[in-house]
Amino acid sequence: MVTISAPPDKPRRMDWLFDKLLSGQGIWPAVPAIIVLTVVAVIPFVMLLSLGVSEFSVSRGQIIDQTFSMRHVTSVLTDQLYWTTFQRSMSLALTTTAICLLLGYPVAYVFLIGGKWTRRMILILTIAPLLTSGIVRTYAWLVILGGRGVLNTAMMNIGLIDQPLRIVNTHWAVLIGMVQIHLPVMILPLIAVMSRHDRKLEEASANLGATRMGTLRNVVLPLSAPGIGTGAALVFTLSYTTFVVPQLLGGGNYLNAATMIYEQVVYSLEWSKASVMSMLLMSSCLVVLVGIALVTNHFTGWTRGRQG
Amino acid sequence: MKFPDRSALGDMLGTGAIVGMGLFALFLLVAPSIIVLIISFDTRAFVSFPPQGFTFDWYLRVFEQRVLVEAMLNSLQVGITVTLLCIIMGVPTALVCVRGQFRGTTALSIFVLVPHMVPGIVLGVAVLFAAAAIGISPSIGLQSISITVFVLAVMVRTLMSRLQRMDPALEEAAANLGASPFQTLRTVTFPLLMPAILAGAVFTFIEGFDNISVAIFTHGFRDRPLPVELLALVQTTNTPLVAAVSGVQIVLAIIALIVVAASIGLEGVNE
Repeated sequence: MVTISAPPDKPRRMDWLFDKLLSGQGIWPAVPAIIVLTVVAVIPFVMLLSLGVSEFSVSRGQIIDQTFSMRHVTSVLTDQLYWTTFQRSMSLALTTTAICLLLGYPVAYVFLIGGKWTRRMILILTIAPLLTSGIVRTYAWLVILGGRGVLNTAMMNIGLIDQPLRIVNTHWAVLIGMVQIHLPVMILPLIAVMSRHDRKLEEASANLGATRMGTLRNVVLPLSAPGIGTGAALVFTLSYTTFVVPQLLGGGNYLNAATMIYEQVVYSLEWSKASVMSMLLMSSCLVVLVGIALVTNHFTGWTRGRQG
Repeated sequence: MKFPDRSALGDMLGTGAIVGMGLFALFLLVAPSIIVLIISFDTRAFVSFPPQGFTFDWYLRVFEQRVLVEAMLNSLQVGITVTLLCIIMGVPTALVCVRGQFRGTTALSIFVLVPHMVPGIVLGVAVLFAAAAIGISPSIGLQSISITVFVLAVMVRTLMSRLQRMDPALEEAAANLGASPFQTLRTVTFPLLMPAILAGAVFTFIEGFDNISVAIFTHGFRDRPLPVELLALVQTTNTPLVAAVSGVQIVLAIIALIVVAASIGLEGVNE
């Protein structure tokens, strides 16, 4: 005879309802999230798109008299100012991505060849900044690069310069801040690839007579292509669309696409231009991301071909 | 004695250069925060380096400034609201994405994950405009719900990666022993999922507390959150007060790091 022991908990009255919801493994538990995402993300994006192609006025924070018009799209697309601004954003973001890769990859390599404690230390140093407010980390650069900042004081003390260098409120300050703030985002995906890495591959490469650099170039680098792609995509998106760093380190006169949108929405109340710019920001960002994905795919495909 | 040949020497130099570059990058990650911490204890009324003297005055002053304390409380409220909403919506959604037995679970997970890939500034502008169109003015509530939409993906991703690696045999065993689906969920799945929920809660709380890109467009006119207040303060103040606020934030980040390390482990952040 088979004895079936009673379930640990006595079924409660509400349980049948939960069972009903769960037993089909259906979509019901996700419905609240779907509704909220639709109302707070999907519909606003459609509205944003519609505002870009409309004529309307804003009165006491409310949008009234909306009618279709392509005027703002054409006026943005034909204005040289917007082109220059987007170009500046684009080149800043691409440079940031390249330098982050240049600085981040060696960290991932140290992670790869390092022991348990090195690896743990790198994880701590990479994750801690991500949990710290972006404004705090940008402020740190104001302290370092400012007129009486750490860097200027140090260089004057050792007699390298007589006058403090003007670094804050220049393109350079923005670039330095951008690189340091987005570096962890580049390192994490690279580390993820490195920790999945099979060490036997390097041993094999070394046994076959390859130098460390040869192994890095021919084994490690091709295998980490997906991590490079992910990291580059993340850093590009963030640095292309951030306005905290340019706002604080570039001073009031450094405009990139994000700071321009911010000023249009908050100060000059040119909401239709801001809508057009937001859509342009997103679509141009998407174009670069697709480009990064294609290049990554090309290189991973090449690795697969070699393995097979 | 034999000199290392050219390629071996080049190899050593190359490896050395890469390791050196890596160490420099790691130094670059941590040095700014340490400098800010050092300055927050300076006795002088302006930011300069190296500091002179040691005092806790700036920290006391942070909590004497009503504007800053209110901003912190506002951000706290947003952080808690975002976290609770993300748990309430994220846990069931992650379960459906991983365990759902219908076509379209992939589409569902993409739908949930995409808002986090949209630039925060664009989401913020979109929500502000949509709210304005129906006559809702920015508020703590609007700020909380828009940041929730932005970071729900982080919660769902953290939970999904945990669920995918959970042994299905445990849940099957519970079902075979006669547990109902809800009992299985409550007594087996939930306890196993707890560390991921905790880690997800830390990430979403930090985002709710610190987010600026979405918050700057959606925050209430009178209820300014800490990042918005801080952004203004940084541009107008040259005292170590800002460094002290930063110090408070850095301590918060360290606590968050410890909770994450204890719940899913540091490697878990990356999965």
